[in-house]
Amino acid sequence: MKAKIAAFSAVVGLVLATSGLRAHHSFAAEFDASKPVTLKGVVTKIEWANPHTYFYMDVTDPDGKVINWGMEMGSPNGLMRQGWTRNTLHIGDEVTVEGSQAKDGAHVGNARVVTLASTGKRLFAASSQTDTPQQQR
Amino acid sequence: MRALLRAAAIGGFAAAVLIVFLGAGAQQPAGQSSGGGRGRGMSGPPQPTPRLADGTVNLGRVSGEKGVWNVPYITNMGERIVEEDGKTYAEKHPPNFGRRGGAPGTPGQPLGGGEGTAGGAGRGGAKAEPQVPFQPWAAAVYNYNSSNNSKYDPEGYCLPPGGPRLMATPYPMEIIQLPEQKRIVMIFEGATHIWREIYMDGRAHPQGDDLNPTYLGHSVGRWEGDTLVVDVVGFNEQTWMDYFGHPHTDMLHVVERFSRPNKGTLAYEATYDDPGAYTKPFTVRWTIPWNATGELTEYICQENNKYLQRLTDDFGQPIFGKKP
Repeated sequence: MKAKIAAFSAVVGLVLATSGLRAHHSFAAEFDASKPVTLKGVVTKIEWANPHTYFYMDVTDPDGKVINWGMEMGSPNGLMRQGWTRNTLHIGDEVTVEGSQAKDGAHVGNARVVTLASTGKRLFAASSQTDTPQQQR
Repeated sequence: MRALLRAAAIGGFAAAVLIVFLGAGAQQPAGQSSGGGRGRGMSGPPQPTPRLADGTVNLGRVSGEKGVWNVPYITNMGERIVEEDGKTYAEKHPPNFGRRGGAPGTPGQPLGGGEGTAGGAGRGGAKAEPQVPFQPWAAAVYNYNSSNNSKYDPEGYCLPPGGPRLMATPYPMEIIQLPEQKRIVMIFEGATHIWREIYMDGRAHPQGDDLNPTYLGHSVGRWEGDTLVVDVVGFNEQTWMDYFGHPHTDMLHVVERFSRPNKGTLAYEATYDDPGAYTKPFTVRWTIPWNATGELTEYICQENNKYLQRLTDDFGQPIFGKKP
């Protein structure tokens, strides 16, 4: 049964990932799709706003240094169609983010998938990214 | 553990099959499925074209029902130009998410390469698009926009699309017919939350300086049988034809044709005639699916557009943000 559920959620997840994409600005001008990043950290601030919701997270690097990252997601209308609400993320939440880093190397990223540590739920972030190697499993 | 691994493998395979299926079935998967509300599109056999009491085709909702048009996300109008064989590039090369990274022209490859793809092919520029009748300067501008990944796209600044790009920019839209008032209003959730008005009272376009160039231009419409034909002039030059950056001038004249062959489909066709940028007119077309349970929501692009703060010019200097 567990296996069936896992398989089902993999399918649903990927379908959502390919169907909910939105673009407002040039993804490729700002982010580097060829360098996907996965970041784990604690949410410090949330801006539930157009044209992109941003949240900020403290990420501890291997040396123990804490870096605050800004993560771009879709707009509230796009996110709500994917099941988000303004209260899906809270300050202090532990999250893992799959996405892409800014081309200029700044600590800014485009979030494609956000996983909440408390629930393990993978949430698709209505990213403006068109496609990445990561999506082709 | 083994069960989980197996499940993951099955899931992955099923997902790949589904993605291929979706890719083949939809013109632009990126813009269609989650458009209006979290509801479903039409399922089952096609339903007949809805009509108003006077018999005119109803391009909007049926009384008592919901519904919005799920505008697809079309990034390159070059893929939608009707070519000499009567088909568009997109119709001849349906998207196929299972086969990224191949040479342009193979199934699933966006015209001229595309972006963010595994192959990292980049864009092909004007020379990859023989079906676009560029004048030399327009080809040069297009190549420039291609080479910098469209970073100066006005839509990135939350400015509206002009012309047919309205029907190619997410999110959903609605068409509201007001026959007693002899006008049709189109409202767009995306494209910076705008509306356009189409005069159906038989008036002509304003002439001379009375025609003030605007983003959306001046639209007059008429019915040709079951097709709404809209003639648009008076565009300003602040918009691009598409995200890829095909330019246009204020000499642009667009003729749009809207029809609803069945309840679930809006067939859209537009002819661009811009003697300022192209050597001859060309026609684009695509279909837009009806989301029977969708409703428009709010999208105010201008609210917190951080893209502008991070945008740098060709010399690495901030354009709008703080100077270092």
